Amino acid sequence: MIEVSGVTKTFRTDCLEIQAVDDVHFAVQPGKFILIFGRSGSGKSTLLGMLAGLLRPTKGEIRINGVDISNLSDDKISELRAKEIGFVFQFSGLLPTVTVLENILVPTLFCKKSPGSRLRALELLKKVGVSDRADAYPCTLSSGEMKRVAIARALINGPSLLIADEPTGDLDVDTEYEIMELFRQLNREGTTIVMVTHNPDLIPYGTQTYCMERGKMVEKPGSSSFIKCEPGLDNHPKPKDLP
Amino acid sequence: MSKPPDFRFFNLIARNLANRPYRNIATVFAFAIIAATFFSSHYLMSGAQQSLDSGISRMGADILVVPEEYSGAGQTVILSGTPSSFFFSDSGFEKISRIHGVAKASPQIYIATLFASCCAAPVQMIAIDPERDFTISTWLKENPGIILEKDDIIIGSAIIQDVGKDLMFYGHNFHVIGILEQTGMGVDNAVFTRFEDAYVMADESGEKAVKKLTIPQGKVSAVLVKVDPGTSPAVVANEIMTQVPGTKVIMSNGLLNAVSGQLGATTRILYFASLAVTIVSIPLLGLISIMVAHERKKEISILRAFGATKSFVVRLMFAESFSLAIIGGFIGIGASAGILMIYQDFIRITLKIPFIMPSPTAILVQGGSALLLSILIGGIASIYPVFLITRSSPYEAIRGG
Repeated sequence: MIEVSGVTKTFRTDCLEIQAVDDVHFAVQPGKFILIFGRSGSGKSTLLGMLAGLLRPTKGEIRINGVDISNLSDDKISELRAKEIGFVFQFSGLLPTVTVLENILVPTLFCKKSPGSRLRALELLKKVGVSDRADAYPCTLSSGEMKRVAIARALINGPSLLIADEPTGDLDVDTEYEIMELFRQLNREGTTIVMVTHNPDLIPYGTQTYCMERGKMVEKPGSSSFIKCEPGLDNHPKPKDLP
Repeated sequence: MSKPPDFRFFNLIARNLANRPYRNIATVFAFAIIAATFFSSHYLMSGAQQSLDSGISRMGADILVVPEEYSGAGQTVILSGTPSSFFFSDSGFEKISRIHGVAKASPQIYIATLFASCCAAPVQMIAIDPERDFTISTWLKENPGIILEKDDIIIGSAIIQDVGKDLMFYGHNFHVIGILEQTGMGVDNAVFTRFEDAYVMADESGEKAVKKLTIPQGKVSAVLVKVDPGTSPAVVANEIMTQVPGTKVIMSNGLLNAVSGQLGATTRILYFASLAVTIVSIPLLGLISIMVAHERKKEISILRAFGATKSFVVRLMFAESFSLAIIGGFIGIGASAGILMIYQDFIRITLKIPFIMPSPTAILVQGGSALLLSILIGGIASIYPVFLITRSSPYEAIRGG
């Protein structure tokens, strides 16, 4: 269970102050597939970074399974990331110096799990459909294969939450479909997923959809791929509509 | 069936090192140069020191008295064994044994031989008075059963001949009865015989040798002096020079100074090279590490995203750096030790230094020190890059694409 309450993130430079995420509230129930849709620069990746504990909110609170991660120490939040969160990046993010199988095993270095992680990794490779590439190096894989390996890696520690940041951004339409089907399958098997995308075609995959624009977020009922994402317009009356 | 092994910390390090060959080979090479330079300079110094200790101990003297005008030649005979013939202009050396504080005085005659079948070059013949000698007599005492008799010689370790065989100098046949242990000094290239045999050899040389040898009767080349226990060699040396005009004294510490002077240029170069390599390598390796840190920022951030703590990142980066330092250190030490051992005679002759291979313990200590220096430099060079990478935001690095 994830609870996000009043989360704000402000980036400050010498001459600029950017409110990337502005007073966001939402909750994610276990087993859901949350899709956060928004244009580039809308703040969705920043929100994801905070959910993963890679960024600290300027204001507000993020609870994962009841633990407020906003003020945890680096060691504690790293431990939580290792145990509870799997990450799939827009780029594959595979380490170039280790094989596919070893890439999947890398997160096990940070999580004290029982032995047998190699067997688990082989099972995951089979699950994502690249079991024949276990000993290959990432540079020999196609984009789709890389993404599948990245998903397997994100799942190796059995996280309660899978975070995906534009995971199909660099894929062709066919591969994008395959990867999204894989996400859907994982979700149906019980994995909670929070994914951000700027591609409206992916909206139907979410069981719950949110829109982000200029740091604000609103829930979008339904799953229309023609959703118009302008927070404040749908849920709140515009000033001109006010009596 | 046993379960396949899991992925461990050292697997990641090994993969990172093995699969970035070009950069890592360059870094290993830098560490190898540092370790080799450091090890070589200390190996040569230690070898010279050991040789000197061994050589002086072999001579058994506190003071070597030579004719004033031949002090340089006297030192050369002792240190490098460059053959030389010289004599006191009078027989005043007899006074030396009567000087207060002199326990023993042993005269020696130095003869530069002609080409002999044993040797590629003339050797230094040293004639001793068995009655008064304490250089060879000490060795003879350690080797009971060997007696220096008529036409017998004891040879230095660098003279190629077996015990029981003969060697000919100035047409005179000598019988080898013993070989001295290696000292790395002039003694190794010397042949020891008795006064009487040297005089006979000189007498016969007019007929038997291509060149006549002349040894002035009653004159010697040098006097080795051992002082009374508790007496300062410096005081006795001063007394000798005062009471016996035309003499020059060479003392153990004087020999050390002479060797240091001889070694000075070489060791200065080696130490300077060692220091320069160290000074240059730290920023150079630091720069490589910073470049690597920038290049690997994203990779490290991915590890952080999967739960790596900052301390894990620190351990990973230092472990990789130390591994490269250790590999480079071993290669540098191994290569330089091999080269120094194979070419030690060439080095000794070229540098004109007394040299004997240091003891295994000394080599281990020097190798260990060189390895520690490499590791230390590896650690120092990694501090800033590690600081840089742990301070950077993993989110920013990941978003950096």
